[in-house]
Amino acid sequence: MTEVTATFDLPDDVVAVVEGTQLPRRLKNRVLRTLEEREDVTAVQAEEVAGVVESRYVDTRVDPLEPVGTVSAQSIGEPGTQLTMNTFHYAGVAEIDVTQGLPRLIELVDARKTPDTPTMEVHLQEEYATEREKAHEVVWKIEATKILALGDVSTNVADMRVVISLNQETLDERMISPETVAETIEDHLGVSTVQQGTTVEFGPEEPSYRDLLQLVEELRDITFKGIEEVSRVVIRREERDDGEEEFVLYTEGSAFGDVLSIEGVDASRTTCNNIHEIYRNLGVEAARETIIEETNNTLAEQGLDDVNVRHLMLVADIMTNRGEIESIGRHGISGSKKSVLARAAFEVTVNHLLNAAIHGEVDPLSGVTENVIVGKPIKLGTGDVDLRMGSTGR
Amino acid sequence: MVDVSKHELVPEHTVVDEDVIDAVLEEYDIDRTDLPKIKYNDPALPEDAEVGDVIEIVRNSRTADRAIIYRLVVD
Repeated sequence: MTEVTATFDLPDDVVAVVEGTQLPRRLKNRVLRTLEEREDVTAVQAEEVAGVVESRYVDTRVDPLEPVGTVSAQSIGEPGTQLTMNTFHYAGVAEIDVTQGLPRLIELVDARKTPDTPTMEVHLQEEYATEREKAHEVVWKIEATKILALGDVSTNVADMRVVISLNQETLDERMISPETVAETIEDHLGVSTVQQGTTVEFGPEEPSYRDLLQLVEELRDITFKGIEEVSRVVIRREERDDGEEEFVLYTEGSAFGDVLSIEGVDASRTTCNNIHEIYRNLGVEAARETIIEETNNTLAEQGLDDVNVRHLMLVADIMTNRGEIESIGRHGISGSKKSVLARAAFEVTVNHLLNAAIHGEVDPLSGVTENVIVGKPIKLGTGDVDLRMGSTGR
Repeated sequence: MVDVSKHELVPEHTVVDEDVIDAVLEEYDIDRTDLPKIKYNDPALPEDAEVGDVIEIVRNSRTADRAIIYRLVVD
């Protein structure tokens, strides 16, 4: 730990007064700096100032035995009743479909493997971010290019051939040659192709109408360039904090790991809304940060930005406590509670009680739920404090 | 490979000395295993980290300027 003890131009007794408070380092420094600016502060005045700051600080701290989890649950739950239950509509940014409101919040705390509408926000490196053409180069590396974007596909039933006439302009734009198209088709479909100029032809080995249609079906699914998972990329011009404008890409579909290593992508600012992809590529701390960011944004989007971020931080802390992402709920946090009664009270009561009986589990009644069930005072707040009479001997 | 530590979402991770961690555990009166965990294969871990080490993470906190937390490296 690096204790930042800055030096201040103050008399020793003033410094001693401030250092004697229970304030954390950062607040002590703020107080000292303020006193320094005021000039000629006496120890008595300093004591008064420090005293007020200290009592305010102690006031705002969470009390011992305060049930922060319950408070968080209620503080997110109550505004949550006002969230849209509507799944999605086109959200503010770049005509990209994003799940919002309650479904999104549920998705986040359930830690779904893939969100309903995965999306990435891809930032570009300096030289790519300012020129539209360079930015487009990156777009073609990300967006999946299918055959229908490159030209027309027709079937010649008489000769049992599939004929593709490619559009030279689109090929040039996306930097794909007719030869690569032909090769990609051969690799994927296992047929031999005839390529002449911008025309590519192939057919089934044996003349069969069904096989011919089958080939066309499969042809449509081939990704010729870009990332399979990303179906659409939108370019937007955005203003940066420093006032400069830059191009930012928004995607429908996500492949975070693949995108980070693409040339031109700024791997330090690009993000994604799939917490598992963030976890795999950037680790548990980044995942925690993303959970806070995403839940916060989901609430803010619906005008509920007055939910204190500390509640969301607590949720994210709990979800990442074991070094991986766990969901809130019976498959995650609630399911791993020690107490049988607490688990049974949550969901699938009978299963929990039955299994507990089979394994001979013991419930030490140390948590909240189980004590409410048996009607004992809970071990929180005043419920965990014992008072004893005694004499001070005076 | 991409340098994960350069990403703005990834705070600074460092392996912490034993005496520092003992002081922290003492201050909070907890065991080493009570600390939050971090997986051994976490991409953000420093290369010299081993199972059983404690990692110091300096976050850019939303509620304080900087927040220092510790995670225990587990399998």
